[in-house]
Amino acid sequence: MRIRTVVAALCAAALLAGVASAAEKKLTASLKKGTPELKQAGPIAFAPEGILLVGDSLGAAVYAIDTGDRPAKAAEGDLKVEGINEKIAGLLGAEAKQVRINGLAVNPLSGNAYLSVTRGQGKEALAVLLRVNRSGKIEEVELKEVNFAKATLPNPPAEGKNQRQETITSLAYADGKVYVAGLSNEEFSSKLRAIPFPFTEADKGTSIEIYHASHQKIETNSPIRTFVPYKVNNETNLLAAYTCTPLVRVPVSDLKPGEKVKGTTIAELGNMNRPLDMIVYQKGGKDYILMANSARGVMKVPAEGIDKAKGITEPVKGGGTAGVGYETIKDLKGVEHLAKLDKDHALILVKKDGSQNLDTIELP
Amino acid sequence: MRKIAYLMPLLLLPALAGAETLKPRIRLNGETAGTFEVSGFSAAVGMRLGAKDAAKQVADIFTVRVDGKADLPPLLGEYSAKDGTLSFKPRFPLQRGVRYRAAVHPDKIPAAEGEKYAAVEETFLLPKPKTVPTVVEHVYPSRDELPENLLRFYFHFSAPMSRGDVYQYIRLLDAAGKPVEAPFLTLEQELWDRAGQRFTLLIDPGRIKRGLKPREDVGPALEQGKKYTLEIGRDWLDANGEPLKETYRKKFRVAAPDETQPDPKTWKLQAPPAGKAEALVVTFPKPLDHAMLGRVLSVTDDRGQEVEGTVAVTDEETRWRFTPKGAWQAGNYNLVVDTTLEDSAGNSIARPFEVDVFRPVEGRVKTETTKVAFKVK
Repeated sequence: MRIRTVVAALCAAALLAGVASAAEKKLTASLKKGTPELKQAGPIAFAPEGILLVGDSLGAAVYAIDTGDRPAKAAEGDLKVEGINEKIAGLLGAEAKQVRINGLAVNPLSGNAYLSVTRGQGKEALAVLLRVNRSGKIEEVELKEVNFAKATLPNPPAEGKNQRQETITSLAYADGKVYVAGLSNEEFSSKLRAIPFPFTEADKGTSIEIYHASHQKIETNSPIRTFVPYKVNNETNLLAAYTCTPLVRVPVSDLKPGEKVKGTTIAELGNMNRPLDMIVYQKGGKDYILMANSARGVMKVPAEGIDKAKGITEPVKGGGTAGVGYETIKDLKGVEHLAKLDKDHALILVKKDGSQNLDTIELP
Repeated sequence: MRKIAYLMPLLLLPALAGAETLKPRIRLNGETAGTFEVSGFSAAVGMRLGAKDAAKQVADIFTVRVDGKADLPPLLGEYSAKDGTLSFKPRFPLQRGVRYRAAVHPDKIPAAEGEKYAAVEETFLLPKPKTVPTVVEHVYPSRDELPENLLRFYFHFSAPMSRGDVYQYIRLLDAAGKPVEAPFLTLEQELWDRAGQRFTLLIDPGRIKRGLKPREDVGPALEQGKKYTLEIGRDWLDANGEPLKETYRKKFRVAAPDETQPDPKTWKLQAPPAGKAEALVVTFPKPLDHAMLGRVLSVTDDRGQEVEGTVAVTDEETRWRFTPKGAWQAGNYNLVVDTTLEDSAGNSIARPFEVDVFRPVEGRVKTETTKVAFKVK
């Protein structure tokens, strides 16, 4: 009797485990084998299950590629590669100045870093995806016969006279959707797209115009240059940096087609202060945003006030930055890309002495 | 005993003769898509190279690197061996004008007893074709008087340009020749067309939009009444790695901000005669966006069918000319315009660049397109 009960219990447990892992692998199961024809490897980000999202502005598409990078345990330790741009150029058989690193992301399942790269210029430019492990080994991410899916963006570039192109500036996965921010090379529009993932033919997602209402209640289109999903009181928000500098919070529940989405301004970053990349992390039980800026280095912004921040509506004068308090991390200049390495560290791509280095910093 | 002593050197000679140093030969079979081939191995080594498990070994024997720093990793690529020849096909095409150093590492060769190999190195450089220097063909807007709230420039180059870190080559100088600090929107990804020949430069919207911190702190990038020079530096390389023929300068003066939306009701249409293929000429009271003029206007007949033809934007973007493929038939036509059509300050037919939300009804055109009717007689 007892043995049967135990066996029954074990079977039930096995069944549940099977169901659970099938659900976990739902996203990967939606991908099909093939060779993505990546025309340009732009901004990248990770979806769950080790799926790499790649923004291809030239091909007007977003790819979801199964990296297969799912080890039993994530790697630990610092990731440092000096002169990574030169090493990549060496591997790809090109001069360092012919290699551009466009994006940086870390697979949370493995702790491996991924880079999106353009090799060469003009008509000979090629898109390359690379993986770097903790020992600094650089490998090409195989794109032949891999499981992947593609979401085409509207208005694909047409051969001939259509020179209009939307440039993807940032993308991220949150709660079953892939969010893509971009701006056109012609009309001053600010499109944020929310595409359900797994991608389907039936639902290509919605496109939302993002606006900014400045203090004198003047409203303008506001392209987003970088954003990061973030949970505030268990609700998913997007923390977005506008090209005209305000840092705003947009609840994803507001992102409905036809809605006038404005976002709440939580910080006015001011002139010469351009967020290039942002991550959200926890320290001491509190949430923080780490932001790489073009001129000011790396800034740490406590997330605590964000949901309570009424939003800036008064004009801000003088120097400095207004809104939610922040702290600049000294000695961290030239950071071009930023990604979370693990719960205590961030991976940065820094420009130093004409070279680019991958380095690990402790989350401040 | 003495006979043996004389014989000894004779016995040694063949052994000494067997330790000859073999010198493999490296050649590049092809050009940018070529394969490196190494030959001159002994038959024994040739056999071992071709073995199924030789892959890792082979990669250690022969490497190709971009000539330069010693610690650069070797090129990614595929190795194979056939009939004693080792082949290496680089993963990516070789670049012209770049020197590659190919080397045989003799200590890694599975040499047979008594065999010795020399360390061989060869450099390869595929010449760059001579090209005509690239020039800036045009910068739009064409006029030398621009509004204070100008949003956008287009640079048209005669050939594809290099991308990445390009803002360092673009400067806005004031009347005294001093650079205006940070006047442009710098985007890591940059705004290019597909061919890489047209570059869109945006003035920092944070300095145009009223009430935003950058404008509050440092003011607008352009000021009414002042003169400026937009400079595109010669050292901006084209896609071929060559500098521009010369630095390009556009001198202009700044007038009042442009806050009026383009309005088709203010446009003058010159209808062409029937029976000929003359151009329909549309004249605007002020210049409109060059790129969008090339794309968002079309002509339809009275059945709503689009008329095929070619478009030309002339007279400093104040004229749009449409020449039909065939002769015009007499009848009613429509000029169809996307309401997203903007002027150079970002005001569109649909909405002004800056909307005062206290006056929401003014200036908003809700439809996607608007029509202007005309007759061909």
